[in-house]
Amino acid sequence: MRLTRLWSVLGDALGNLRRGGWGGLAAVGAITVSSLILGILWLLAVNLQAILSDWKGQFEVVVFLRDDITADQRELLRRRLQGEAAVAAVQYTSKEEALAFFKRDLRGQASLLEGLGENPLPASFQLRIREEHQTGPGMMRAFVTSLERLEGVEEVLYGHEWVDQIGRLVSVLHVAGWVVGTILGAAAVFIVANTIRLAVYTRADEIEILRLVGATRGYIRAPFILEGLFQGLLGAALALLLLFAGYRFLVWRLGLAPAGLLALGAGRFLEPLQVAGLLVAGAVLGGMGSLLSVRRFLKA
Amino acid sequence: MIQLFRVHKTFGKDVEALTDVSLDIRKGEFVFLTGSSGAGKTTLLRLIFRDLLPTSGQILVAGRNVVRLRERQVPALRRMVGVIFQDFKLLMDRTVAENLHVVARALGTPEAAARRKIGYLLRQMGLLHRANQTPYRISGGEQQRVAIARALMNDPLILMADEPTGNLDAELAADVLRLLREVNARGTTILLATHNATLVKEQAKRTVVLKGGRIVEDNGA
Repeated sequence: MRLTRLWSVLGDALGNLRRGGWGGLAAVGAITVSSLILGILWLLAVNLQAILSDWKGQFEVVVFLRDDITADQRELLRRRLQGEAAVAAVQYTSKEEALAFFKRDLRGQASLLEGLGENPLPASFQLRIREEHQTGPGMMRAFVTSLERLEGVEEVLYGHEWVDQIGRLVSVLHVAGWVVGTILGAAAVFIVANTIRLAVYTRADEIEILRLVGATRGYIRAPFILEGLFQGLLGAALALLLLFAGYRFLVWRLGLAPAGLLALGAGRFLEPLQVAGLLVAGAVLGGMGSLLSVRRFLKA
Repeated sequence: MIQLFRVHKTFGKDVEALTDVSLDIRKGEFVFLTGSSGAGKTTLLRLIFRDLLPTSGQILVAGRNVVRLRERQVPALRRMVGVIFQDFKLLMDRTVAENLHVVARALGTPEAAARRKIGYLLRQMGLLHRANQTPYRISGGEQQRVAIARALMNDPLILMADEPTGNLDAELAADVLRLLREVNARGTTILLATHNATLVKEQAKRTVVLKGGRIVEDNGA
């Protein structure tokens, strides 16, 4: 008997959705657009984050040494660097090794090296940085500045600009996601609320009769709430389809480029859990919209 | 079955719809509520099925204190009370049978029992041949009988009707009253509001007369 009631409520909700016509379409569209924009921001953030962590995994600070450094000074410096909390590993590259790497990298263009008399490349320490120490841009800069003051150090290089910029972009995307998401979400809620309000008005006669014969509040409200949930779910599903299509298209276009973003660890779609999250968010938005309407326009 | 103690109902600040109304209707009674338009008949009915709350006073319906009823207890009260409206309030886009079915579904009546009940009531009201037509296509008297059938769907202890014969000619009105008497004979308490004095006289039942929101006459109290 509970099951037949469930079916009858579901049937009502589907019937309403069908009868809703253009109004229902507007509500679904609003949810689609807001979920789509949210999805795009999220996808960007996910991919940039992936690039960032990939980058961070091999993150290196290079400490170039002065040519006049003595072996003792160098050993002291190595111990000093190994003692740093942020440093995971220290690797030494001598001037000769540096030249060898340089030559290898410039294979085929050996002529460039002919003019070099004395080896101009400095020896260096490559520091692998622990990921937990790569958090704030400010933190890394302070660390690098402290290294530059050490004796025997010529220069310290790290990809700070890239890391900082991507890091900042990810935070901006997160904030933008929340701001845009809140605004669009609120708009979608109100559009759904309006659709449901119209549905409530359309069925005013039936609602009145249901109240008078002693239908419970839940029984009267359930179809409208479900209608909102359906609209939200449908909107979010449409948005995901569009997002996935757009994403595949983009990957295909980028895939044509020889060294794409794909190599950097990007090129991933939302995780199944995130997809589910977006669907749930759409349903929740729709449900909120209808709840808002039902509470205002469907008294007792 | 229905008891009102010193009930006052004021709309807004100074529109006094009912003043110091006390009334006791016993189980199985058939009571007419009369008075001119605006005397407070409809307000009194609405108080009984808690469509309105009184400004002061107490109302007991089938042993329940209507005034103190919680929001979620209201459906249970309304399931004991059937109401027939002057304008019928039928769903014009559904068939006659569907109009009754809406109630069965709302009350969670199993499908088979609902069908039996609808068939029984339509036969009793002489509407079986109209079951699959929309209210647009049937006469006013038939619409009135659909409204009665719908009010009986939940086997109410009390059946209330607001001007049930207001839109009908004398012959149809007599028909409707005959049906209501049959319902009454099976034990349902009936409270019928009307300003049709001739109708009331013919029936020779208990009559409560309202005037300006006060009970001025009650021949059965």
